[in-house]
Amino acid sequence: MSSRVVAIEIVTHPQVTESSLTKSQLRRIYTMRQLRWSDHSAISVFVLPSQHELHQRFAKERLQMFPYQLNRIWHKLTYSGLGVAPTIVASEKELIQAVIKTPGAIGYIDDETLIKQNEKTKRIETPDRETGQQVSSKGVVNVVKIQN
Amino acid sequence: MLSKFKTNAVVEISNRVNNMDCFRRFFFRVVMIAVIFTGYFAGATQAEENETYSNSQDFQLHGFISQGLIDVNGSDFVNDDGDVSAELTEIGLNASYQLSDKFRIAGQVVYLDGGNRYSQGARIDYALIDWSAFTSENWQANVYFGRFKNNHWLYSSSRDIPFARPSIILPQSVYFDGFRDIAVGSDGIATKVSYSTDDYGNFDWQLSYGKSPISDEQTKNILSEFAQGSAEQNHDAQTSLYWQPTFSPWRFGISLLNAEFTYDQGDTGSGDMFYDSDFTFQYYTMNALYEGENWEFSGEIYQQRFIIDGFYYPGFQRDSIGQGFYLQSRYKLTQKVTLLARYEDFYSDKDDKDGKKLEQATGGAVPYYFGFHKDVTLGLNYDITSNFSARMEYHWVNGAGKLTPVVVPNTQINDTEDWQMWAIQLMYWF
Repeated sequence: MSSRVVAIEIVTHPQVTESSLTKSQLRRIYTMRQLRWSDHSAISVFVLPSQHELHQRFAKERLQMFPYQLNRIWHKLTYSGLGVAPTIVASEKELIQAVIKTPGAIGYIDDETLIKQNEKTKRIETPDRETGQQVSSKGVVNVVKIQN
Repeated sequence: MLSKFKTNAVVEISNRVNNMDCFRRFFFRVVMIAVIFTGYFAGATQAEENETYSNSQDFQLHGFISQGLIDVNGSDFVNDDGDVSAELTEIGLNASYQLSDKFRIAGQVVYLDGGNRYSQGARIDYALIDWSAFTSENWQANVYFGRFKNNHWLYSSSRDIPFARPSIILPQSVYFDGFRDIAVGSDGIATKVSYSTDDYGNFDWQLSYGKSPISDEQTKNILSEFAQGSAEQNHDAQTSLYWQPTFSPWRFGISLLNAEFTYDQGDTGSGDMFYDSDFTFQYYTMNALYEGENWEFSGEIYQQRFIIDGFYYPGFQRDSIGQGFYLQSRYKLTQKVTLLARYEDFYSDKDDKDGKKLEQATGGAVPYYFGFHKDVTLGLNYDITSNFSARMEYHWVNGAGKLTPVVVPNTQINDTEDWQMWAIQLMYWF
């Protein structure tokens, strides 16, 4: 895994076929402008509460947006009937669970939590895997590469 | 239906003189505040239990509740007596259900109490079928049938959503509360086409056609408290286009509106002093929005054309063009505290900016200051948690051009050119 302990990884449900996304695709997905994967299955977007530190960093570092801009777009969709906004979950643990359980899901996670998650899974499900990355691509979640 | 509105009006009058009812209202406010706090703490507890992920992907339930205090001095914007008022309640509950790949249903009920600003009570804010006609990586086209919200101006779709708008009281020359129930949406059909490209950015084009029901109370609010007849909206057609360049902090928009109304004078026995008439209202706006890390700027500039045919006497004609703008700045002092400053300037006749002609034409019955509306606003927003906020603001207003009733104003209560108001509001949403 990355040597930067604080990196944010983009994760998807294992059945999502995309292994990489461009920065603008990721932004389209999180601003609800792209609602389907390339195989036409629906995208389910998960986020942490807007004041959560990881959400703040995700918005700025991965989307190059400010959390208040995302709130504005999502509030407009939710409270004017125009569309559906991402599902807000309370914690990182809950977020990864939601991504594992929901087909078509996308979320983000601190890579430390991802390693922990994978170690836990490694013990339970796939004791012979070597690294977290492999485990995650085999069964629990996909880690998606973001291209510039 | 009509008799129901009349009953409501009677209840409204008796409320103001009945102390028991005042107490009941006060009690209701206390309960409201308690509910907001309970909601907040319940939310916090729920978060600790890690069980907030309850909305399934097909069914979503959301809502908000807010309560505030407002004090207006020098006009009847909220109440007639000028006392501090708790008539600042906004509650909403909405649901969205994905019926199939292409179809979704959604609806929202809101309860509003803003004193004289609009009629008090619950209403269906929107109730629609959303047909996702086309979707791809870059394109989205949706058609909405039913009651949809006006999505054409900067804050038209979020005007009732306390935490989603920039201030407690919005610029009245665009988001005029007296006209809220008509301007907030329509029953009909609307479309939205969105296009996103890496080269040119995001484009959103919207078109809507429909009409809004107009209650007798609203007729009195807009025209005159002495109007005994009924008003009807024949149609409301609107379109707007927004463009945000790729990865830009700027967004630009334009919108056009054309609406037609008729007024049927009351029965001969009603003593109605007004006549059958047609009204045409046209409205053009341009807006810009800048969203930076700490600074945010927005503004709308607009022109309206209001044509009256009849009303005062058969054959009466008036065609006036009003203009205005507002500029707004918000500054994020910290992650939780945002400051607001705004200037708004509007006059209802571009050839009579100081209202002198209006006063002359009415033989002094309508003072000059009913011809314009200027508002300097300062405010502060404190985001206590991700879904619980407090807000406060102060307005210095010059002019009575955006007080109800519009066509035949109330010059007795609104006897000063300058008036002020402050407001505070607590809001919780989920």
